[in-house]
Amino acid sequence: MDQLSDDELDHAAEEDSDKEDQDLDKMFGAWLGELDKLTKSLDDGKPEKLRKAPLRQETNLANFSYRFSMYNINEALNQGDPVDLDALMADLCSIEQELSSIGKPNSGTSRLPPPGEAKLRQRPPAGHSVSGHGRPLASNFSLDDITAQLEQASLSMDEAAQQSSAGAVSDHEVRSLGRSPRSSINSASAGSMDSLDMEKPPRPPEVDGLQQPAPQLPSQDTIAVCLQEEQAAKLKAEKIRVALEKIKEAQVKKLVIRVHMSDESSKTMMVDERQTVRQVLDSLLDKSHCGYSPDWSLVETITELQMERIFEDHENLVENLLNWTRDSHNKLMFTERIEKYALFKNPQNYLLGRKETSEMADRNKEALLEECFCGSSVSVPEMEGVLWLKEDGKKSWKKRYFLLRASGIYYVPKGKAKASRDLVCFLQLDHVNVYHGQDYRSKYKAPTDYCLALKHPQIQKKSQYIKYLCCDDVRTLHQWVNGIRIAKYGKQLYMNYQEAMKRTEAAYDWSSLSSSSIKSGSSSSSLPESHSNHSTQSDSGVSDSTCSSHARSQSVVSSIFSEAWKRGTQMEESSKVRVSP
Amino acid sequence: MAVWDLTVAVEELGPEAPPLSISVTSDLHIGGVILKIVEKTQMKKDWSDHALWWEQKQQWLLRPAWTLDKCGIHADARLTFTPQHKPLRLGLPNGMTVRLRACFSGPTFRTVMGICKLLSMRHPEELSLLRPVEEKKKKKDKEAQEEVYDLTGVPLTSGADEMYRHAALCLSGSVPNLYNGMPAHFADSPQTEAVYKMLSISQPPPAPEVIAKMYRPASVVDKAHIHSRWLDSSRSLMQQGIQENDRLWLRFKYYTFHELEPKYDAVRLTQLYEQARWAILLEDIDCTEEEMMLFGALQYHINKVSQSEPQAMMSCPAMDDLDSALQSLEVKMEGESSSMDMLLTSPSISASRPKRLTLKGYKQYWFVFKDASISYFKSKEEGFGEPIQKMDLKGCEVAGDVNVAGQKFCIKLLIPSPEGMNEVYLRCENEQQYSRWMAACRLAAKGKSLADSSFSSEVKNIQAFLSMQHSNPGAASAQNDENINTHSLVSPRYHKKYKPKQVDCLPWQNSLGIRLTPRILEAYQNVAQLSLTDAILRFLQIWQALPDFGVSFFVVRFKGSRKDEVLGIAPNRLIRIDLGVGDVVKTWRYNNMRQWNVNWDIRQVAIEFDGNVNIAFGCVTADCKIVHEYIGGYIFMSTRSREQSDTLNEELFHKLTGGHEAL
Repeated sequence: MDQLSDDELDHAAEEDSDKEDQDLDKMFGAWLGELDKLTKSLDDGKPEKLRKAPLRQETNLANFSYRFSMYNINEALNQGDPVDLDALMADLCSIEQELSSIGKPNSGTSRLPPPGEAKLRQRPPAGHSVSGHGRPLASNFSLDDITAQLEQASLSMDEAAQQSSAGAVSDHEVRSLGRSPRSSINSASAGSMDSLDMEKPPRPPEVDGLQQPAPQLPSQDTIAVCLQEEQAAKLKAEKIRVALEKIKEAQVKKLVIRVHMSDESSKTMMVDERQTVRQVLDSLLDKSHCGYSPDWSLVETITELQMERIFEDHENLVENLLNWTRDSHNKLMFTERIEKYALFKNPQNYLLGRKETSEMADRNKEALLEECFCGSSVSVPEMEGVLWLKEDGKKSWKKRYFLLRASGIYYVPKGKAKASRDLVCFLQLDHVNVYHGQDYRSKYKAPTDYCLALKHPQIQKKSQYIKYLCCDDVRTLHQWVNGIRIAKYGKQLYMNYQEAMKRTEAAYDWSSLSSSSIKSGSSSSSLPESHSNHSTQSDSGVSDSTCSSHARSQSVVSSIFSEAWKRGTQMEESSKVRVSP
Repeated sequence: MAVWDLTVAVEELGPEAPPLSISVTSDLHIGGVILKIVEKTQMKKDWSDHALWWEQKQQWLLRPAWTLDKCGIHADARLTFTPQHKPLRLGLPNGMTVRLRACFSGPTFRTVMGICKLLSMRHPEELSLLRPVEEKKKKKDKEAQEEVYDLTGVPLTSGADEMYRHAALCLSGSVPNLYNGMPAHFADSPQTEAVYKMLSISQPPPAPEVIAKMYRPASVVDKAHIHSRWLDSSRSLMQQGIQENDRLWLRFKYYTFHELEPKYDAVRLTQLYEQARWAILLEDIDCTEEEMMLFGALQYHINKVSQSEPQAMMSCPAMDDLDSALQSLEVKMEGESSSMDMLLTSPSISASRPKRLTLKGYKQYWFVFKDASISYFKSKEEGFGEPIQKMDLKGCEVAGDVNVAGQKFCIKLLIPSPEGMNEVYLRCENEQQYSRWMAACRLAAKGKSLADSSFSSEVKNIQAFLSMQHSNPGAASAQNDENINTHSLVSPRYHKKYKPKQVDCLPWQNSLGIRLTPRILEAYQNVAQLSLTDAILRFLQIWQALPDFGVSFFVVRFKGSRKDEVLGIAPNRLIRIDLGVGDVVKTWRYNNMRQWNVNWDIRQVAIEFDGNVNIAFGCVTADCKIVHEYIGGYIFMSTRSREQSDTLNEELFHKLTGGHEAL
């Protein structure tokens, strides 16, 4: 079904996709409004309930609020108060229907979204967490809760049904959990059992694909006047069971995302929570036929903070997107970025401290990378130097001498030498990500435009917890950003690169084949040669040394050394060849 | 051919006995000489380990087929007929001393191979022997005899050569056979079993006084001096003046640890950890305070786990069935909501906003911990209604601020939100409450619920840690396993910085958190769940990630320079360091090395790098052979990783490190 929408998207003009946005936005807006209304009415009806609007905003965790809503439902269940849950159900179903038409362009009216508006949306997995456009939701954190609750509920329903010894329920009735708002009129009188309905609606949209309306829930506006409670109970138990099954199928959280392409167009696609950035990139590459290069990246742009970050290939995309707020203007871009793996293409510019850009033989690059990333611990490049630090809450920038270590970023306190023991820890890297700042010269009056920011991924607004650093030149900036990446991700980074290169090679199969055969040929021929060199050297060495010719022994030592070193690198090359095909 | 008398001393005849005099001709080979000596002693014993040592020339006569003439031995030579293997007192990286038979006749490199074989450590090429630092011993200290573990009784594998072959085999890859979880030669007697235990289990932390008393290098020059003590790998112990029963240190010399494999490397890992730990405690390697706290926490954890070790490793059976997972989740949630309400005894607390909290900023609320979030209410009665606030702790940072003496038990929470981090302080009434809430917060931060099986162990961990604060630091020497003085876990610098007395006197300082235990506790959170092996590996990893890791210092004089400078030799590079300031002047990597010469006459090392970079220097603090061997050794280590065969290429090592003497 992904395929379907994408094909359509491919054909659709840019305007179309914009229209789609509008449709979606509108739809979500409407849906959200309904939901809010509903929650409000719930709250109004039950003042003792936990839920409180400001609270929800503060915590920023949809699952959190979702749990509250579950609580409400439980209470409703227990107390048997009539709540207009069927109405909610109906709304959700209608939204589902609308959602299912997302693939068809031009189906909506026009409402221009603000420029740069986030193009992210998520299928509504469950009632309350459906929070409108642009905001991926965390509601599935609590999927288990829902399931548990549902199971409980269905049990109790069964009991109820049995106790009241209901008559047979017709299939027709079973299927009649309507998606029309009207149905609520009927079931309102069903009393306590109604509250259960609220739990069902989330499922259908959750389970079914975007472009696939839920066939299990056909619309049935005509609900008979079956007011017998037993029947209703039984019916609902049945419904719950259906819903339960679906939720189990749909344990995997999925997100519909809008990815901006480099040519100003955009693509809508669905990602599930298990997918890594690499996997998403792969599927985007497959679809967009843009030629394979390891530089393709998914870039997160936080518009409000004017910062961006290339997602690392091993990261989980959904997890990252869930940090966006519901009204976020953040963007996800699919674009080629040479800086993503520049570190591995020219490691000498990043790993050897701070000198001018230089060239290096490929063989030495390999050796350098292996040395840095393949040891028992990853060696963080020795980054140190004066950077500008934006002072908390002020506009001024102050110079400080910073050092990067595996354990975090440090600075030298005033009046101290830079001995390790005197360093002050500026930040540890476990909880922060590194971002590139954009145009901070005008936004924050930074001394230069080469800025980086460090922040917790969940922070989305201006905060004193975001740290801003400014470098004197772009080279320093890249060195720091890459140094921090190495300190933070270590070997994973290198593995990502190797994986990306593997894909590239697979994409150009013929070239990889030929190059590797050349390599293996050369290494196999050179190896025995170096061995023989060794033996001749040692022979002459013995005789030389016994007649104690210093000059000769010197040269022997040096040649032995260089032989050994050469041999090492050759071996390495050969081993590399062995690995790569 | 003329017959002349050769004088040979034989130790077995007793110290008083006059040397034997045997008649020889110049064309008699060494084997024949030995035969004559043995006949002459008229003693029946196994002489196979004996060989002739030539006193004046300081060399062994190890080639039985060489004639006296070829060896250059004349009537004035004084020879000693003596065993090639002699007992040696070996100081191990963990500070213990073991007495064992080592080879005094082969090159030191071989001797180390034999020792490592005996101690069952793989990759002996990474280790070497050095002369210990003389300890200024006061008279009374001498009385306290150090405990010596004896391994001299362990039979050596028959022929010496065979032993080397074994050692070489054992070196990489091949798994030693284990009996009762230890190599066969340790399983012979309870004594040797005890030795193995000492070798393979890390030692309890030393008392702070012990650390304070030990020699610590104060400067780079001090650090450089230690390297003048390494023995020459290409010459034998005897040649370097080492006598029977002398004391030597066994240490990891080359900081490239090849294929650390917990399965085979129990002793190696432990000793490596010990060496790293001492390097940090004695400030041999510099680290930041944060790093020191983490090292402290890991030491604490390693000690604790190794005390309680032989428990089977926890295996967590993965629940593959979704249904059962859901079911159990449900059960958990039910169980938890009830048990958790009990947690929330009347907590006080909360200067919730990030505004600077004054001490008075705390207000009492009724707190409920459920799932992974905390809600609070005005009072218990309202506890079923709507909370004032509910905070989800997933992903938050948790820190403790505790002073047992001051009865202060605070939990600091940093909860991320789109707007920034919410800082929340919870103040608990007592230790009990604190440890439970702290444990709950930590689990929640990791996304685990209170029903998680690790909850109770987490609580216990915290309590155990808090109990350390009870201990009077003065009584540190009288510690038991349960109760470690946290000052044993950090270097003396931090003893001073976190002087307990000072803080006890000035209660206001407590609020600033100037206490060592809570700081270590903070770091401890992140490592408390590690297994013993993982903890040791983590320790080594952090150690290896320190910027100064693996750098051995030498004071040198560069050609054309008028002042002494420091040369740092690291596993992958040479570093030129300004002696006065300590700044790195220049770095050269072995990768770019072209040529490398030693002029033994003027004892100068000359190196050429790519791009026509030439450097030359003479060595001030150590013999240039040691520097030469260090560099060559690292080159050797780097060839090793690509070595396909399992055997150690001894020949190559000597070629790279030996200089003209070895050739």
